[in-house]
Amino acid sequence: MDIGTSGIYVCLFLAVYFEVFLLISFLEKRPSKKTKALPTRYPSVAILVPCWNKGDTLAPTIDSLLEMEYPKDKLSIVIIDDGSTDNTFEAAQKFAHNPQVKIFQKKNEGSKYSALNFGLEHSDSELVGCLDADSFVEKDALIEMVKAFNDDPLIMAAAPAMKVHRPRNILELMQSVEYTFGIFYKKMFDNINAISVLPGPFSIYRRTLFSIVGPFRKAHHTEDMEMAFRIHVNGLKLVNVHTAFVHTNVPKTVGALIRQRTRWSRGFLENSRDYSYVYFNKKYGNFGMLALPLGLAGFIAGLYTAGYAAWSLSSYFISKTYSLWQTHVPISLSLPTQPPQWLYVIDTSMLTFLIVFTLGMMFTAIFIGQRISGTKLTLVSFVSYFLLYGFVAPFWLARAGWDTVLSKERGWLT
Amino acid sequence: MAWKKYLLTLVITAAIFATAFYAAWRFNQARIADIAATEQSISIDILSSETQFDLLGNLDCKTIEENDILSDELNSLASRLSVAEQNLGSDNKQVILLKKQYSLLQIKDYLLLEQISKKCNLKPVYILYFYSNAGDCAQCGEAGQVLTYLRQTYPGLRVYSFDYNLDLSALKTLESLYKVSGPLPAYIINGRAPIFGFKPLDELQKIMPELKTLATSTTPTN
Repeated sequence: MDIGTSGIYVCLFLAVYFEVFLLISFLEKRPSKKTKALPTRYPSVAILVPCWNKGDTLAPTIDSLLEMEYPKDKLSIVIIDDGSTDNTFEAAQKFAHNPQVKIFQKKNEGSKYSALNFGLEHSDSELVGCLDADSFVEKDALIEMVKAFNDDPLIMAAAPAMKVHRPRNILELMQSVEYTFGIFYKKMFDNINAISVLPGPFSIYRRTLFSIVGPFRKAHHTEDMEMAFRIHVNGLKLVNVHTAFVHTNVPKTVGALIRQRTRWSRGFLENSRDYSYVYFNKKYGNFGMLALPLGLAGFIAGLYTAGYAAWSLSSYFISKTYSLWQTHVPISLSLPTQPPQWLYVIDTSMLTFLIVFTLGMMFTAIFIGQRISGTKLTLVSFVSYFLLYGFVAPFWLARAGWDTVLSKERGWLT
Repeated sequence: MAWKKYLLTLVITAAIFATAFYAAWRFNQARIADIAATEQSISIDILSSETQFDLLGNLDCKTIEENDILSDELNSLASRLSVAEQNLGSDNKQVILLKKQYSLLQIKDYLLLEQISKKCNLKPVYILYFYSNAGDCAQCGEAGQVLTYLRQTYPGLRVYSFDYNLDLSALKTLESLYKVSGPLPAYIINGRAPIFGFKPLDELQKIMPELKTLATSTTPTN
């Protein structure tokens, strides 16, 4: 076995380990089903909606918040127009007369964290949530979140279950499978207290958290990830509420997707560097011993596998072209005259079996994610995920790695 | 900390790897068994043909022509052996043993071909092809592709391929008999002096005018 193939076996080992770990976690503690029980109390909640050029989606986002089943006197919405250059502020004015809604305008400071901190300063509720202005909550999402906070006073932050909002094109369908898998694995990471991100769409925080750990930081444009890191470092508790659903718009073009994921991946790398002391540190439990190392290993393995596949394929085509040029044998598309024997046609190498195992376990995880979220994925979604993801993901991994190495500054939205 | 879970995950992951290894090994063993069985079948066929030839000493050649007594399975065996070699490696003991048996069967088949040709005044077209996969023959892969193409195009062409480095006394005798010692690949076409070095398709076709006497796979044959 050559060194290149050995590396692939290492990557597969990591992938299988990760998937087995998730499935064991699932069997140990299955996610509870949603109940109709109401919260024992209704704490005051402010939802911060930072927005930069979200004129098209702001109104439906705010509508979805106002339609939530929650006492109106306990729920306020803080819209922060973060220096938009489109009609965001005008769109916000639609809600100007609603007593639940406060609208602010501020100068853009180049990253989302400043808008969130602005919102924190202009609200005084017991719980504070944030919602990206292109996401939409289900009516009972806040109730589900509040129930979790009521049940355990130690919880400082909670992440929701995220679904893709009305996926239509191939890329959106691909991401809908990815998000469904995410619902499963985030819940499993919650089981071992190792959640590594509190996503922008509808994560909820206890206000006291900010007096303990401080406000949001720029954190390489991934303030939601850094806050999760900081919560772990301070020994505080964050959970995933898999019954609180939020629907988010996802990038519709390859370019937008790569830009978004480059920011996320780079944020992970940069925050990992800032918090490098957490890696393999028993003090930080499963977050430091498993979640972060596996995340970084996944990043490296993804890049390595893509590089190896590209190298193998290009070598194959170059050698085939060279052979054709050398041998002068015409290219033949004719079928074999005799039916091939399956034992000699089907690849039955160890590598093939491992790939089949890995894909099988991933299917299982996505299926469980579907059950948890009630999402119905189509065949086209699965096909686009399994065919497309492996081709586009290496681009953002490589770009994030490259940018990190060169310390290249890219804006929040690029 | 979930140490027990980490360990259990490690054990299950290792078990999955072991299962994959075992499954691959079982398939390889099935291939080896299939090749060995085919070789045995060919061996019996050749022995039968030799016996038949001895018996046919007094019979007319029409019977021989009507009854194709040379094995057709040798060609298909070559590709199967190649798959086994790719999966298990060229230095695998079982693969080497099967290759030796295969080489012996080819030599016997070739000798039988010569005997029948002499007796019945037939003009077969054949190539003895010597290759190496020990890293000393950069273009043996290309040579193999040309010969595969020729064999597919001219089903009547018999190609006997030998691993030059195989430690088999009968093969060494064949090599010394035909003075195969130059750079590989080497071709012996219809018993003529060996040709050394890679030849592309058009050049090989020029060297072998006899190919024109053979029916092509696209020509309807009786």
